[in-house]
Amino acid sequence: MNYPVWEVPMGGGVLMALVSVLHVFVAHLAVGGGLWLVLAERAARRRGDAALLALVKSQSRAFLLLTLVFGAITGVGIWTTAALISPQALVALIRAYVWGWAMEWVFFIVEIAAALVYWYGWERLDERTHRTVGWIYFVAAYVSLVIINGIVTFMLTPGGWLENREFWTGFFNPTYWPSLALRSAAAAAQAGLFVLVTAAFLKRGDARAADAAAWATRRGALWVAAGVAAFAAALLWYRSALTGAIPDWADLAAGAIPVLPRVVTVMWAGAAATFLLALWPLAAPRRWHPAGAVLLTASALVLFFGGEWVREAARKPYTIHGYLYSTGLRVDQEPEIAAAGVTAFTRWRDPAAATPAERGRDLYRAWCLPCHTHDGYNAMRPFLAHRTEAEIADFLPRLQHMRARMPAWHGDAAETADLAAFLAADADRGLAVFPADPGAAGRLAWDAHCGTCHTLDDYRALRPSLAGSSREDLEAMLDALPDLAAEMPAYGGDPVERGHLLDFLTGAAGADPDRSAE
Amino acid sequence: MNPFVPSPDVLPIPAPAPLFEALLHLTFLVHLLFMNALLGGGVILLASLSTRGGDRELHETIVERISKLLPTLFAGTVTFGVAPLLFLQTLYGGFFYTSSILMGWPWFATVPLLIVGYYAAYLNAFRGRRLGGGRRWAAGVAVGCVALVGFAFSNNTTLMLTPEKWGRLYFASPGGLHLNLGEALLWPRFLHMALGAVAVAGLLLALLARRERADARLREALVRRGLDTFLAVTVVNVMVGFWYLLALREDVRRLFMGGSGHATGLLGLGVALSLVLLLLAWRVRTVPARSLKPLAWATLLTLAVMILMRDAARAGYLAGMANLQEIPVRTQALNLAIFAVLLLGGIATVVWMVRKLLAAPSR
Repeated sequence: MNYPVWEVPMGGGVLMALVSVLHVFVAHLAVGGGLWLVLAERAARRRGDAALLALVKSQSRAFLLLTLVFGAITGVGIWTTAALISPQALVALIRAYVWGWAMEWVFFIVEIAAALVYWYGWERLDERTHRTVGWIYFVAAYVSLVIINGIVTFMLTPGGWLENREFWTGFFNPTYWPSLALRSAAAAAQAGLFVLVTAAFLKRGDARAADAAAWATRRGALWVAAGVAAFAAALLWYRSALTGAIPDWADLAAGAIPVLPRVVTVMWAGAAATFLLALWPLAAPRRWHPAGAVLLTASALVLFFGGEWVREAARKPYTIHGYLYSTGLRVDQEPEIAAAGVTAFTRWRDPAAATPAERGRDLYRAWCLPCHTHDGYNAMRPFLAHRTEAEIADFLPRLQHMRARMPAWHGDAAETADLAAFLAADADRGLAVFPADPGAAGRLAWDAHCGTCHTLDDYRALRPSLAGSSREDLEAMLDALPDLAAEMPAYGGDPVERGHLLDFLTGAAGADPDRSAE
Repeated sequence: MNPFVPSPDVLPIPAPAPLFEALLHLTFLVHLLFMNALLGGGVILLASLSTRGGDRELHETIVERISKLLPTLFAGTVTFGVAPLLFLQTLYGGFFYTSSILMGWPWFATVPLLIVGYYAAYLNAFRGRRLGGGRRWAAGVAVGCVALVGFAFSNNTTLMLTPEKWGRLYFASPGGLHLNLGEALLWPRFLHMALGAVAVAGLLLALLARRERADARLREALVRRGLDTFLAVTVVNVMVGFWYLLALREDVRRLFMGGSGHATGLLGLGVALSLVLLLLAWRVRTVPARSLKPLAWATLLTLAVMILMRDAARAGYLAGMANLQEIPVRTQALNLAIFAVLLLGGIATVVWMVRKLLAAPSR
């Protein structure tokens, strides 16, 4: 609304997710790996194990190249991408937390300097100073996490900040501590992953080198297994904190945000796979293999991808929960926009836009594009393919009742007509063709209409109210939807679609629960 | 009033604007020193890698010394680039974000460019000798990436000053593929920065050479090489500076030509300092035993004046649109104090570590 919206075909959110997951993956490794290096160096020196010391040294080089370059630059990349995708949120985050960022920056400098001195100091510093520098690195890196955790959790659960706007109230918000536990556990697991990957790809050399590699491999595996187990435990704590901080959390988890239950599953699958894979090097460190390291890295990436996505999905439709919508509209502006209409809040309107569809295109960019794409992530065209312009216009004022926690559309009649004109013109009718398989066709018909607001068995479950209905009952119900509730739009599917939907509903009314339909 | 200038955010900034301005200038100065050493040092490195014949020992020394330093300079440039970006966004976020979005893809490309350039710098530092002829490519990629990132910054920081262009660009193509190539200010601004970087790097080369433990002849050759670079590039850069001045929008140029005491004073100081720089460099060049310190301090002062001139130009361009005095302030005194203490402690820690490293003999 205040800023132009960058049209990225795959979706700005996808780009953001890509940059941030890769960064977060390496950033946790950068924290935990620092602890590993000093502890392993100390162990090597105490044992007088030259082979182990050589191993740690070569690990520290890989560590430097990975964290200093990829880790640090993708961190800058998050800022760059966030400014492109959610400028309004970034403005707010900077205004509220610029001193937090500035403090974090100090630790960032110390961290980078310590990493360099640690690496260049292997041959030049005495043992004690070298290890001290290692500890300085770890402490600075961990405090970075401690600070950023405050700001990231603030976005999801700002808690009392919404009332008092106090820095520390928002910082130590309801999910701060469980999230810190989660991230600390993740950092330990990532350190173990780093050890396992470097050990797997290292040239084994003589027997002593092999002993050192086995020593490190077993401990790396222990760090992964213990880290993931601690992560799982902290997750339960985090979930209970979320339940307290977000009153409708149970609804969200039950499918009010369709993607949420799926990414929770992805996260757990990643955690389970990572844990199980770590048992291999734990039991047989000498048989640890690069193929295992690749699989372990992939499963840890799945875990991080799922975990970060859960956090992002749980925040929908806000960038700062309860304060700022993803569209850049503040919650406290809603009465004003409801009265004035959306055009007054749409800064980027093309002076040359003359037709309803052209005016609608500007509204689409400002109010839909921040979360949706034409054909990429959260694509609108397949969804619109099943609706006429009149249906779209009828549906827009009901957006806030949809699953996915859509924010309300505040357009007046003319603005709604403009947006509907653009959306209808933009829709790809080719996508409205139904597949030959009756089951798949029925599911598509369900997804295109009922499924936008209901699930069969969980959130706003329909199956209980369908149970026992005949096809004739269901047909009568479809014709009288607005009578059931004010929020329900009239059903406007064509005869083909209607037939598929009735097949699906008839099946649901009599058949066993089929959760896959959600 | 331009309709596309974003409305100011309702949240207050947590300290008075002048404090953030001071932090912006101060951290930008440090960033500039690292960036100059990185980009300018990279250019000098490439020149030595490309030179056939001449003083082989001199060129090899330059290649070895600079190659080893480049990754650390990369780290310094990035680390000290984050802070001025943060403070710039605190004060001018609305303008900076809009121009960033208009050039979305080139702006986003700075991230992969930095990663590729940084790894190329490490490749050159760790494996340079073994690369043979490939070394020129590694160094070339590193320097090329840094230069492209600098060019993207020049595009963005000029585009953010001209909201009158924004609407036309966005509605022509909302996919973020724009640069600011039509801007008169772009090339002189970029060249002024890039040439300045090479000059400063020449001076740093001379300063480093003074610490060189090698024989006196090589040391002298390095100092001469550094100062020659400094002199030659600065002469050209003075002319580019005038181009820069002429390229400013007329109302802004008038500020520097008597319209504003502050801006005009800065320009006068800048011009005088550039003459002093040439003179001081020439004096050391003719009598190599002379100290480099006056030249180094004068250069630092020139950089500081240049930063303030850029700031005055920015204020001129955005006059009537961005008034820093109007941003609401709610000072977070405790956080400011914590930051100050941390900053001092952080600097002390870094200084301690670096001194330990430099004091230790290479074993």
